[in-house]
Amino acid sequence: MKLVSTLAVLSIAFAATAFAQDAEDPFADAVETRHGLMLQMATDLGTMGAMMKGEVAYDATAASKAASNVAAIASVLSMAQFPEGSEYGKSADSYALPAVWTAQDDFLTKIADLNTAAVAMQTAAGTDLEAMKAGMAGLGGACSACHKGYRQPE
Amino acid sequence: MKKIVYSLIALALLGLLAFVVVTQPRGRDTEIFATLAGDSAKGQLVYTAAGCGSCHMAPEAAGEAQLVLSGGQKFPSAFGTFLAPNISPDPVNGIGGWTLPQFATVIMDGISPENEHYYPAMPYTAYGKMDPQDVADLKAYMDTLPPSNVASLPHEIGFPFNIRRILGGWKLLFQSRDFVLQGDLTPQVARGRYIAEAMSHCGECHTPRNVIGGLKTAQWLAGAANPSGQGKIPGIAPGILAWNDEDIFTYLTTGFTPEFDSVGGHMAHVVENMSKLPESDVRAVVAYLKAVPPLVQ
Repeated sequence: MKLVSTLAVLSIAFAATAFAQDAEDPFADAVETRHGLMLQMATDLGTMGAMMKGEVAYDATAASKAASNVAAIASVLSMAQFPEGSEYGKSADSYALPAVWTAQDDFLTKIADLNTAAVAMQTAAGTDLEAMKAGMAGLGGACSACHKGYRQPE
Repeated sequence: MKKIVYSLIALALLGLLAFVVVTQPRGRDTEIFATLAGDSAKGQLVYTAAGCGSCHMAPEAAGEAQLVLSGGQKFPSAFGTFLAPNISPDPVNGIGGWTLPQFATVIMDGISPENEHYYPAMPYTAYGKMDPQDVADLKAYMDTLPPSNVASLPHEIGFPFNIRRILGGWKLLFQSRDFVLQGDLTPQVARGRYIAEAMSHCGECHTPRNVIGGLKTAQWLAGAANPSGQGKIPGIAPGILAWNDEDIFTYLTTGFTPEFDSVGGHMAHVVENMSKLPESDVRAVVAYLKAVPPLVQ
């Protein structure tokens, strides 16, 4: 009997802890969403990157598809995945710095710049390897422009 | 008893004398700079490789504003917080009034025109290995940048580190004019060493420091704690960094890691600079990184 009540108490405590964690981090979904978007973008960049590094032969069709994916993901990025408070130290797994919200206009400009670079890459990736390399430098610059000031380094 | 007291006083005076002698700011002979003329077009490459703007531009500066070296970025460390000064060509609040020999003494020996030591937050131990002609070209280029009259802010440094004189002792211990990587080098590795060790000063962040802030050169590029106290700076010596040549080249020119995560933090400045260098220079840095002594993590 004692064992049963102990187990009951333990299970309630466990449920309460799990609930408390959910209650403490209302931004878990937003953080997971943006990480998922970044990860898919990395996968598509990797397709083009492997061609750049000479690991696989340049393939205009595959490169174009990857570039279109990057552009599509970039177009999804907005403050919707960055609700206020979903920041480093306050939300588990978040590396977003408070500047995302204190300098929101600039943050959104950086997202717009990413979209510009991604659209340019859509043309470049299907043109030839040299054009794709140049597009990659532009995209890389757009990514790091944002990660420089808005992401907590690990 | 009196004898002991006198001996102690004599010893103390001797110690003081030694301190004064050792910590006296002493720059190199700058005679050669009197004969050099700078080329600002060539100096732009030196400026980019040396990363001057990355620390001396205003905090959060973007675009054209990155060329206004008004200072103000903060660099926290175990010794206090250093604030980058205005090094724009403004004659009053910047460095517009400096002669080439003064400029050379500042960046190569860390000694101000007022004959005071600078803190090694300014990487003069690296710049001291530069070719004098490159220093002359660098000054010629920096003279063309837009002036700013923003006043430099004082460092936030407490006792005893606010006594600049003690930096003379630090320099005696840690200022070396020799490159870390020694031996017979191919021209490409030698060029990479010059860029990495004399100009881009990779070791300043990627090499661990001892308790008084000297670089542990035996653990060259082994990775280090971030001086800000948050996080760590990765090791990039062979044996620690497993990236191949193409991975490193892609990272330095686009900011993408092999996983296609992208560079952030202060390293984003470095990538921005590296991506502006000729491809042959970036390839040289890659070759250098593969040639430094391997380490185990």
